[in-house]
Amino acid sequence: MTDDNTIDVKNNFNHLITEEKNKHTVYCTKCPSKILSSTMGKHLRIEFNLPHMSQKKNCESVECELLADYWMVPDMYMFDNIGFSKTVESGIKYLICADCEIGPIGWYDDNTKQSYVALSRVKHVEDS
Amino acid sequence: MAKKSYDLLFKLLLIGDSGVGKTCILFRFSDDAFTTTFISTIGIDFKIKTVELQGKKIKLQIWDTAGQERFHTITTSYYRGAMGIMLVYDITNEKSFENIVKWLRNINEHANEDVEKMILGNKCDMDDKRVVSKSRGEGIAREHNISFLETSAKANINIEKAFTDLTLSILNKTPGREPTDVPEKINIDRKSDRLSNRCC
Ligand SMILES: Nc1nc2c(ncn2[C@@H]2O[C@H](COP(=O)(O)OP(=O)(O)O)[C@@H](O)[C@H]2O)c(=O)[nH]1
Ligand SMILES: [Mg+2]
Repeated sequence: MTDDNTIDVKNNFNHLITEEKNKHTVYCTKCPSKILSSTMGKHLRIEFNLPHMSQKKNCESVECELLADYWMVPDMYMFDNIGFSKTVESGIKYLICADCEIGPIGWYDDNTKQSYVALSRVKHVEDS
Repeated sequence: MAKKSYDLLFKLLLIGDSGVGKTCILFRFSDDAFTTTFISTIGIDFKIKTVELQGKKIKLQIWDTAGQERFHTITTSYYRGAMGIMLVYDITNEKSFENIVKWLRNINEHANEDVEKMILGNKCDMDDKRVVSKSRGEGIAREHNISFLETSAKANINIEKAFTDLTLSILNKTPGREPTDVPEKINIDRKSDRLSNRCC
């Protein structure tokens, strides 16, 4: 895996999608941890307010970012490596990197058992 | 519907007194005053890790107690479905060692009968503060017929091996598997900078 293979994510995610699935392997942006194999996630456009990965210190309110492009993973065991936060509200848990623990990189809904990984918070690397 | 991307799924738990280092064994962060991440204020529930062992792709779901051990409220629901338990004490804390017996009783009461256990004497980097000798740890493990390792979450000593050994012993009694005597090295995707001396 080299950085040259890393596919840049701007606003148009079409180049990452093949038949509605993730074309490439999904990695953490900060460490080499492999999160999801290719074609395991289904592209879904759904608006969700995801807290920023780093928050201002001594700040009461949580700053969020409205993101709409996610890989929906129907079964948590389809992930290679992933961490789940404690439940924050009505069955919602945040997803984090299992190795370096940065996050949230997405969220998990305990009611539907589905996980959603934000395309803009992970790295997509072409399978070699 | 979803295509199965693994061969086996094992649920593992960490048990032991509060402060022995369970969270550090599994998780990187702790109540470090410098953590600014949003996640560190919420806390982590569990992790899923994929390992390859004896040609099998194994998913490990690893749980930390989230502090219930402080109130001795670890009950059947926490143990449900657990196939492996890491029983942890702190080599610098006599009480935590004595309580291993209590935890074993708790496990016998609540966990599945055939759960694989392993005893870990953690914080072995702090040899100057040691109060529980290695041979006492080995002794209690032998007495209960459980394997034993001294570990350090801080110095990353035997952490990897503990997970490999526990996973292997579960694997080796999983039906439908060929007996093997040469354990392969576990290939846990934990290759990030675990070796750097950043403890919790
Ligand atoms: N020196 C040393 N300190 C450790 C080790 N593991 C954990 N600690 C420290 O022990 C304290 C309790 O650890 P924690 O993981 O929160 O324990 P828990 O209550 O069992 O989850 C923390 O201050 C850790 O930094 C270790 O291997 N060596
Ligand atoms: Mg803890």
